[in-house]
Amino acid sequence: MLNDTSLMSGTSACPGCPENIAMRMLSMALGKDVALVVIAGCSSVTQGLAPKNAYGYASLNIAFAAGPPAASGMWRAYKRRNRDVTVVVWAGDGGTSDIGFASLSGAAERNEDFIYLCVDNEAYMNTGGHRSGSTPHGALTPTTPEGKSGNKKEIPFIMIDHNIPYVATASVGYPHDFIDKVREAKTIRGFKYVHVLTPDPYGWLFDPSRTAEVAKLAVQTCYWPLFKWKDGRIEVSPESLHCLKKETRRPLKDFLSIQGRFKKIDEKGIEDLERYIDELWERISLNLKR
Amino acid sequence: MRKVMSANEAVANAVKLARVGVVGIYPITPQTTVIEKLAEMKAEGEIDADIVRVESEHAAMGVTLGAGAAGVRSFTATGSQGLLYMHEMVWWASGSRVPLVMMVGTRAVGAPWNIWNENTDFMSERDSGWIMAFASNPQEAFDLVLQGFRISEDERVFLPMMVGMDGFILTHMKTNVYLPSQEEVDAFLPPRRQPYVIDPEAPIGMGNIFPPVEYMKLRHSIHSAIQSAESVIKEIGKDYEKISPFNNYRTLNVKYRMEDADYALVLMGAWAGDAMEAIDELREKGINIGMLRIRYLRPWAESEIKELENVKGILVMDRATSLGRGGPLYLEVKATVRNQVKGVVTGLGGVLLNKEDFKRIILKFLKEAKEERSDGVEWYYPAEVEKVELRNPKDVE
Repeated sequence: MLNDTSLMSGTSACPGCPENIAMRMLSMALGKDVALVVIAGCSSVTQGLAPKNAYGYASLNIAFAAGPPAASGMWRAYKRRNRDVTVVVWAGDGGTSDIGFASLSGAAERNEDFIYLCVDNEAYMNTGGHRSGSTPHGALTPTTPEGKSGNKKEIPFIMIDHNIPYVATASVGYPHDFIDKVREAKTIRGFKYVHVLTPDPYGWLFDPSRTAEVAKLAVQTCYWPLFKWKDGRIEVSPESLHCLKKETRRPLKDFLSIQGRFKKIDEKGIEDLERYIDELWERISLNLKR
Repeated sequence: MRKVMSANEAVANAVKLARVGVVGIYPITPQTTVIEKLAEMKAEGEIDADIVRVESEHAAMGVTLGAGAAGVRSFTATGSQGLLYMHEMVWWASGSRVPLVMMVGTRAVGAPWNIWNENTDFMSERDSGWIMAFASNPQEAFDLVLQGFRISEDERVFLPMMVGMDGFILTHMKTNVYLPSQEEVDAFLPPRRQPYVIDPEAPIGMGNIFPPVEYMKLRHSIHSAIQSAESVIKEIGKDYEKISPFNNYRTLNVKYRMEDADYALVLMGAWAGDAMEAIDELREKGINIGMLRIRYLRPWAESEIKELENVKGILVMDRATSLGRGGPLYLEVKATVRNQVKGVVTGLGGVLLNKEDFKRIILKFLKEAKEERSDGVEWYYPAEVEKVELRNPKDVE
């Protein structure tokens, strides 16, 4: 099953890195005819030092906000050259929800023909774990030592509101779901947005051997929903169906207590997070495919 | 074919004749009529380029760079705030060694808002590793943009090239422009060449982390490429004569009445026209002054500038300034020659000078030169500005 052409030896990623897991899954889904645009982030570094590169894909590294524009130019260039290439923007959550948001929104509005993959570790992990617009309420980061105040920006919903052909969420804890969604995205013309949760042992403060487990707990506790949006409706993945009813959700504390970044959160903070999850699922329920 | 057109329209025609494949566009005055013309050409089926209407100048360069990296000839245009907003990507393009061409319609930079001409925006990119040309009339705007694709795609260069032109004064000025035929341009400009293409056929990674020595070597190679571009530009300029009646591209910069000149005026851009008129009238009064018009800021043709050492005095006029210091051209010339150099900063934010202003500036300079005190920088205001009271923050009403 492993397609080792996309990720070769020599990566400088940390032990337990969820991004390399995601990279492997991406190549299982897409095969070889892929060109990557990698914006600033851990992945700019984990490729290893030039002139060598641990990514087997043709890849253009580029500044934070320039991923979607570069991909817009690239897919058009391949089309003009009669090359059948899937262009993928590989972007972190800071590059997606903060500094690169205008260019993401612009490319979505133009319905450019590429896959935008947001690899969400919920902070600027490459600089040292600083808070981003995607950091959850209550999380400790070096720039929010008291715990972040305010919820995670809901980029998948914002992308749904752009009325693009395809939006999907995934978790590295559920490879089949992630791979299926990326494969489906490849078959669709126009702008495809895929958002994968990638729990980071060093930023979230858990043991590096437990990356997949934390990525599963995020889904089981309904903190992170697995769904896809297509043809104007949301379809919840089987792994997340239990979240539609509040009483079948696994307790949120199972997800919070396994990580160090929530160690200062109080009861009120937990209630705030639970309310956020309730509202998240209410919103999903309202747009369900029936 | 000869046709009356503005410099912006001439630029659009150069892009068309160069068979550009992808154009990233975002509006900013005074460049907008370039992209309007290209959009119109596309709508009417005159070009088949992909016109990508992006959400910012940062993205305009992103699209242009992405298309170039994936193997297609690309172009964009901007100026002023747009160029500053694009700044990060300007550097990314040269660091990636991706050939492409950008037109810059120069304009003052805010705050405060001002839409009129000034070259400080263009000058602020001089350290970015681009080939930088500056046009003086619509014909030259056309010629430089067309030649730009070949210069940029020459394997001895492989760098992006920007062509500046004075906002409104040149971008919107109409004159007769000679356009070579498509067949002639096809013969002059070969299919795109570039150092690498991002393509799964032969996957490479571009732009990941370079360790210190490797990074320094990369910057060094860009430095060398800019320097070697000097002979490439001359070679291409000579070859351009096969498709154009203009034969003044054998040098990077342009001399006017310098053969017997005792004094030299150095400047760049559209106001060279007023300067030449002033020089003609002063010559009639027996004042031997000539002009060197800088057409290429990068490469800086040191040997051409060094020839100025033969004159008794040098006056450099800048429509730009490095605040607290002096005009960028003045600083460049001063670093090249041994002579005393006087700098004049003027024309900022659209301040207009006429022929009489040039004569006033030159006559004052000649008086100072004779007294051997023609050094330093003067801020010049046109004759009708009688009193200069500077505005300071404490004066806010």
